[in-house]
Amino acid sequence: MGFKNQPMTNVKPVDDRESLFSPEIRAEIDKWVAKYPGEWTQSAVMAALRLVQDDNGGYLTQELMDKVAAYLNMPPIAVYEVASFYSMYELKPVGKHKVCVCTNVSCMINGSDRIVEHMEKRLGIKLGETTGDGKYSLKEVECLGACGGAPMFQIGTKYYENLTPELVDSILDGLE
Amino acid sequence: MSEEQTVTIEVDGRELKAQAGAMLIDVTDAAGINIPRFCYHKKLSVAANCRMCLVEVAKVPKPLPACATPVADGMKVYTRSPLALAAQKGTMEFLLINHPLDCPICDQGGECELQDVALGYGSDVSRYVEGKRVVKDKDIGPLVATDLTRCIHCTRCVRFGAEIAGVRELGATGRGEHMTIGTYIEKSVDSELSGNIIDVCPVGSLTSKPFRFQARAWELTQFDGIAPHDSVGSNIHLHVRRNEVMRVHPKENEAVNECWISDRDRFSYVGLQSDERLTAPMIKRKGGWTEVDWPEALDETARVLKQLHGDQVGALASPASTLEELHLLQALMAGLGSNHVETRLRQNDFRGKAPSFPWLGRPIAELETVDAALLIGSNVRKEQPLLGHRLRKAALEGAQISYINPFEIDLNYAADQMVDTPFGMLADVAGVAKALGATGGLIDSAKVDETHQAVADQLKQATKASILLGNIAAAHPDYAILCGLAEKIAQASGATLGFLPQAANSVGAQLLTGKGNNAAEMLANPCKSYVLVGLEPAYDFWNPAQASAALKAADSVIALTSFRSPSLEQTATVMLPMAAFTETSGTFVNAEGIWQSFSGIVRPAGEARPGWKILRVLGNLLDLPGFEQESSEEVLAEIRENLADKKPDNSLGDELPAQQLSQTSGLQRIGDVPIYAVDPLVRRSMPLQQTHDAIAAAVYINANEAGKAGLSEGDRVSVKQDGHQATLGIIIDSNIPDGAVRIPAGVAGSETLAGQFGQVTLEKA
Amino acid sequence: MRAMRDYIKSLFLLELMKGFGVTGRYLFKKKFTVQYPEEKAPVSPRFRGLHAQRRYPNGEERCIACKLCEAVCPALAITIEAEPREDGSRRTTRYDIDLFKCIYCGYCQESCPVDAIVETRVYEYHFENREDSIMTKDNLLAIGDKYEAQIAADIAAQAKYR
Repeated sequence: MGFKNQPMTNVKPVDDRESLFSPEIRAEIDKWVAKYPGEWTQSAVMAALRLVQDDNGGYLTQELMDKVAAYLNMPPIAVYEVASFYSMYELKPVGKHKVCVCTNVSCMINGSDRIVEHMEKRLGIKLGETTGDGKYSLKEVECLGACGGAPMFQIGTKYYENLTPELVDSILDGLE
Repeated sequence: MSEEQTVTIEVDGRELKAQAGAMLIDVTDAAGINIPRFCYHKKLSVAANCRMCLVEVAKVPKPLPACATPVADGMKVYTRSPLALAAQKGTMEFLLINHPLDCPICDQGGECELQDVALGYGSDVSRYVEGKRVVKDKDIGPLVATDLTRCIHCTRCVRFGAEIAGVRELGATGRGEHMTIGTYIEKSVDSELSGNIIDVCPVGSLTSKPFRFQARAWELTQFDGIAPHDSVGSNIHLHVRRNEVMRVHPKENEAVNECWISDRDRFSYVGLQSDERLTAPMIKRKGGWTEVDWPEALDETARVLKQLHGDQVGALASPASTLEELHLLQALMAGLGSNHVETRLRQNDFRGKAPSFPWLGRPIAELETVDAALLIGSNVRKEQPLLGHRLRKAALEGAQISYINPFEIDLNYAADQMVDTPFGMLADVAGVAKALGATGGLIDSAKVDETHQAVADQLKQATKASILLGNIAAAHPDYAILCGLAEKIAQASGATLGFLPQAANSVGAQLLTGKGNNAAEMLANPCKSYVLVGLEPAYDFWNPAQASAALKAADSVIALTSFRSPSLEQTATVMLPMAAFTETSGTFVNAEGIWQSFSGIVRPAGEARPGWKILRVLGNLLDLPGFEQESSEEVLAEIRENLADKKPDNSLGDELPAQQLSQTSGLQRIGDVPIYAVDPLVRRSMPLQQTHDAIAAAVYINANEAGKAGLSEGDRVSVKQDGHQATLGIIIDSNIPDGAVRIPAGVAGSETLAGQFGQVTLEKA
Repeated sequence: MRAMRDYIKSLFLLELMKGFGVTGRYLFKKKFTVQYPEEKAPVSPRFRGLHAQRRYPNGEERCIACKLCEAVCPALAITIEAEPREDGSRRTTRYDIDLFKCIYCGYCQESCPVDAIVETRVYEYHFENREDSIMTKDNLLAIGDKYEAQIAADIAAQAKYR
């Protein structure tokens, strides 16, 4: 017996779950909750965080995470753990275009360092930073499963593969 | 695979029998074969994330973690084979990459699991030259200090919080090298069992804050003791250096406290060094206190007592006094011709017949196997934290726990809570009784609602059920009725009736005392003289205002006390310094009825002397018979002889008192005693007083009642109760029912008020 | 025969003469005597004399109250008490060495992880009161400040042998 094979729930669930999120978001989260066994509402935490993050302009605040915890009836610290673990969740505001560069083995061998260097120079920011105009964020991520097209990065939901500095320029120009 | 199936395995050439499905490390531990480990803890779930317990298993290509490998028949295990050793050494090297080399300034140094294992498996020189990870320390409250750079991410503390303490306060945030243990937000860890994370932490990441940098493990001498703050009687280890208790650790005893102790038992020792310790006998002369030597103080005391006879003198003792002290106190009073000795100071309703040997009703360890329990007037989690833990275990196994309380309590498991005013509580208890088919008095007129019926059904269906009466019930103005109703419920449902005794020796005290006038009578009709043992008049009585008045009116008040306190200095005429629990030998009878003796391990502060010795010498000076004991063991032998045939017995008289004393009109006070206000020692332990649970005196009221009275959060109000007055702040608290306010007792600010329960009026100050 | 020989020896004071011979020889040899206190014998850098506590160059005391010296001391001459300083660091509030108990074995210096407690080359000291034999933390730090240059040089000279 332990908290890994038994859901750790709040002793006092919140009364007004409805007021936590807008009806659309609640409907989306509930769709995910329905996929898991009844008492495991907390299994939907990743989907819920993603939905809430998208709704909040791409990042999470502590208040939002607390709301997710209350909505899914789980301890807030468990939500913080998930949100701080995965690189997809942002805990600080990010730019309009989040460029997630893979620097894992395959990409590194195929020259991701060069791509990173080029973008850092072009945007004037380091990995993990956001440009002053709030347009771009540069982020180093782990393998995105597109090793066949290394080096690669992801912007929004789109993958860009077989990158070269010239290609990067044209992609970034296309975003302006 | 059935649970009973046994398998035979071979470990390092030794044949071992084990239950199928048991984890390998449990089997080797039982056989005394040592496997190094960090994340595994026998009371916590298996995480298998430290990888230190890797062992070689025949026919398995890779080493397996012993903590997460179930045994199977014919399994051949090698714990010291080259493969196993190489794996363990490799793990050790990885763990040490980021572990700082700060053992000289680490409080865990000398008793550190990592240090011990590193000595066996580590190498002299690290192959890594990269910088080590540094983690910022977090402030998680006044009890636990953090040095998170030392953390090896075993997550024992996280699992302890989730599984034992029942509050998920600590977590592991971040990933990989950036993973840190903490609360993520600025927050203190507030569990009443939080101190145990100090013990489970295998490194110096979580250490005791009051003990920080005070002493090293090798300087300390370990003595056994019994914790004196609740009726669990937790077995403790007291660590002593140069005649000073430096810290307290749990002593493992599966039947009592398992391997945990509450924060109250762990950190109360700080109060022993309080500036308010009374270190010499003192006599009040012409209104001022003068220090005198023992012969003078004792002669004066004997002279005062000699002039009295019979009913003129009454003795009031703390229920945390030892059996020996109470026996001699009883003998002293009997010698003077009085039989007024009382320890039930927080009780006001003494109607009906008290049980002759009130106890928990079942062994402590059995509490975790109940199927249902109904707790009446009890905040067990804060009153007896380890009994609360046992009940939580039962609840997690599916037991239905219900509470009937005058305010909603904060629980760490799901339970039914019926919350009503003190008067309404009676109706709830009677409702449950009626739902079970009981009859008589209050029950016949009771209304049964769904909740009552549900609780009744749970109790009836359960094969093992307990009805428990707690400390709030004991202070209830209709305690006798509550007891009677509880007994009816127990009889009708086949459940066991039990009491959650208030203090370390409440059960023992009931065996020896309570034959004469009770506490309420003694204070309502003031005696000419009082003997007080281990008390502070302002904080230890049901009705502190009445107690202070009665004591002030007395000609003489002889106080045996470990601490000076303003309320004692105002009321007493002689103060005799008494040894604290670490300084005297004695015996406590815990909730289960186990007699646990302990011995004095440090010299008493200053001129203080063990209570039983003071009483014995007083007996000699008064030329009374029965005071020839040379040691506390002799006193104990006498007590054992007298009480040899006493068996635990919770049976009450048959007749329910008819008259209800709790009122219906006006605002009713609920005066519970907060966890860190239970006795003079705890009240002087600064670290405990800085915790979140150390509640200050205030008026807790719900928004509805506050609205009616035109009050809002933070307002100062003048509280009037029975002609007594106090000015307190308002705290809006939705846990309080309509018609009631919670004003904690035993804390500074509420001592000028009357009883723990009763009608109060609020006026904006 | 033997008695005869002894008689002649004592009659002519032969052994006394031999003794005078030795005295006479050394009268003209090069002198070993050092004119203490004007002159002093050379002292080894490993000499274990009066104790001192050192500081870091920035003035911060080195001792971190790990109590290893207290534990290793065979004469139980060291008494340490510690608590967190205001900045949260681990420091001693009391560090006493009883020089009457001390046997100058040097284990304290050997065990110190931060080279805080050292035994200097100083061997000339005295006490006028019994209680002066207890060196307090302030005394030890003052001695350390006074002889820091030499202590540092001695430790540096010995570093390669440790």
